[in-house]
Amino acid sequence: MLSLTLERQSWAHRIPVGWKLAALCGLTFFVFPLENIALLTLGIGGVGLLCASLGRVGFTASLRGLRPILWFAVIILGYHLLVGRIGQGLGIVLRMLLLVGAANFVTMTSRLSDMMNWVIWALSPLRRLGIPPERIALAFALMIRFTPVLGQRAAHLAQAWRARSNRRVGVGIVAPLAVSALDDADHVAEALRARGGVR
Amino acid sequence: MERNIVYIAVFAAVIAALGLLPKLTLISGIPITAQSMGIMLCGTILGARKGALAVILFLALVALGLPLLAGGRGGLGVFTTPWAGFLFGFPVAAFATGLMMRWLRGARVGVSAGIAAVVGGIGVLYAVAVPYYMAMTGAGLVDAIVTAMLPFLAGDLVKAVAAGAITGAIHKARPRAVMSRA
Amino acid sequence: MPQISFDDVSLSLDGRQVFGPVSLSLREKRIGVVGQNGAGKSSFLRLMAGLVKPDQGQVRIGDADVYADRKAALAGIGVIFQNPDHQILFPTVAEEIAFGLAQLGASKADAKAGALHVLQEQDRSDWADRACYTLSGGQRHYLCLMAVLAMKPDVILLDEPYAGLDIPTSARLHRQLAGLAQSLVMITHDPRTLDSYDRVIWLDGGVVAADGPPAKVLPQFESEMARRAEC
Repeated sequence: MLSLTLERQSWAHRIPVGWKLAALCGLTFFVFPLENIALLTLGIGGVGLLCASLGRVGFTASLRGLRPILWFAVIILGYHLLVGRIGQGLGIVLRMLLLVGAANFVTMTSRLSDMMNWVIWALSPLRRLGIPPERIALAFALMIRFTPVLGQRAAHLAQAWRARSNRRVGVGIVAPLAVSALDDADHVAEALRARGGVR
Repeated sequence: MERNIVYIAVFAAVIAALGLLPKLTLISGIPITAQSMGIMLCGTILGARKGALAVILFLALVALGLPLLAGGRGGLGVFTTPWAGFLFGFPVAAFATGLMMRWLRGARVGVSAGIAAVVGGIGVLYAVAVPYYMAMTGAGLVDAIVTAMLPFLAGDLVKAVAAGAITGAIHKARPRAVMSRA
Repeated sequence: MPQISFDDVSLSLDGRQVFGPVSLSLREKRIGVVGQNGAGKSSFLRLMAGLVKPDQGQVRIGDADVYADRKAALAGIGVIFQNPDHQILFPTVAEEIAFGLAQLGASKADAKAGALHVLQEQDRSDWADRACYTLSGGQRHYLCLMAVLAMKPDVILLDEPYAGLDIPTSARLHRQLAGLAQSLVMITHDPRTLDSYDRVIWLDGGVVAADGPPAKVLPQFESEMARRAEC
C-alpha cells in the first residue's frame, strides 16, 4: 500500500526510529510554549534545511505535506486579523508549520515496517496486562491487508451507484460496504481459527 | 477472540476506506467526508471497547505513515496541528457512542444509534477537540467555537443521523454482527 | 490418513437444524462431498475442521476432538476456503505463509525462513514480498494452497476450490491437487471432478443421502439433480 515514506534512502532513513520519535517529542515540548516569532522562523528554516537535505523529491514531498494545513492557516490568520490580534495568529501558524514540518520529516524518513516494529516493541510491557504484542502485530497486519480490499470495494460500490444515477455518490453505499466488511470479518475469523487462532 | 480481533481490524479498515471515497452527498446536497461517520459506526456497531480499539488501530497506522485520513493525509504531522484534538477525541467518541448504545438498548437500534452518535460522535468529540484547540492556540472559548467547531457542526449532525440509519440497516441485514446489541 | 469420525453429530444455526444427525468414519485418500446449496456441505466442512461446536456428538481425528483439541486438529487438518479473499490474512505473500508456521510453534525467524523455503520449492521465490491483493484470482488460490501445505497437515479440506476459476486455472489446480500426498476431502457441486475419487458422500437436507464409490453415488446424484431441475 502507498505509504508516505520516501522510497529513496537518505542519511535520515538510517537513524533508528526510536531516536527520531524521541527527538520529535522533545521538539514538541520545547516549541509548544514558544511565542517568539524570530525563534519560530529560525526553527522553520532548520526544518526546511533538513527537508532540503533529502533532495529535490524529498523537498517537494515535504511541501506537499504542508498543503493540507494551509487551509487551516488561512482560517486562523483570517480570524485573528478580524479580531485584530494578528501577532498571536502568526505565532500559532508558525508553530503549526514547524511542528507539522518536523513530524512529516520523521514520517518521510521512516519505513512503515520499522515504525510498526518499534511500536510493537514499545507496547510489549502490555503483555503483563494480558495483551501479547503478537496480537497487536496481528491487528496491524489484518488492517493493512483489509484497507486496499475495502477501498476497492468502496470504489466499486461508488461505480455501481454512478452507473444507475446521475447524482453524486450518496451515503447509501456505506451500509452495503459495512455489511460486506462484516461478512468478510466472519469468514476471516473462521480462517484464522482454522490456522490456529489467536493466542 | 478471533472474531473480536478481526472485527476491530476490519472496522479500522472501514474507517480508512470511507476516507478514500470521494466526498459523499446527502439527500440535501451537502457534500461530506464519510470518515467521521466511520468513527460513529465503530461505536454503534462494535460497542464501546472494541469500537475505541478499532479507532486507535486506525489512528496508529495513520501516525506510522499511511495516508488514510480523508484527503490522503497521514503521518505524524497531522497529530501536531491545533485541530488534532479531533483525532485524539475519535477513540473517546467511539467509546462514548458505544456506552450510549448500551444505555439506550431499550430503544430501536436505528434510533438509539442516532442518539448515541450525536452524544458520542459530536458531544464528546467536541468536548475533547475544543479544549485541545484552546490549549494549543491560547484561544478563548468563543474563538475556539468559531474556528474549531462551527465549520464542522452542521455536517456532523447530518452524519450522526445517517450513522443511526445505517446502523439500523446493518442490524436488519446482520443482527449478530451488531456487537453492541449482541 | 488418520481416521476422522463423526459420532452422531448435529448442528443448528439460529435454532434451525442445518446438519445431522450424521455418523461417519472417513479414512479414504480422496473423498468427495456433493449436494445442493444449503444441503449442509459447508457445515460438514466447518464441523470437520473444528471451527464450530456441534450441538450434539463429537468429531474426532484419531482420538482427539477437533473442536476442543485445536492443536491436534491444526497439525492434522488444513482448510482451503471457497473464497481466497476470506482466507488470506496478511498483506504480503511471505507473511501469509509464515503465519501458519509460527502458529505451529516456529520462532519468527524460522517461520520466515520456512515460508521462503516453501516459495522456493514451488519456484515462486519472487512472490515473497508481493502484496497479496495484487495477485490474480488463480494465484490467490495457489497462495492459499501453499500456506496450507506449509503446515504439513495429513488431510486437506477444500470448499468448492474450482468455483469462479477459468478453465486453464482450474485445470492447473486440479493437477496440483491430484499430485498431493495428503488426503483430500473436497466439497463441490461439480460431480465431474470426482471421477477418480475413492468415495463420494451425497448430503441432502443435512443428512447423508448416499455414500459409496463415485461410480455408484454420482449417477444417482446426477439423475436426482436433473429431476429436481425439471420441477
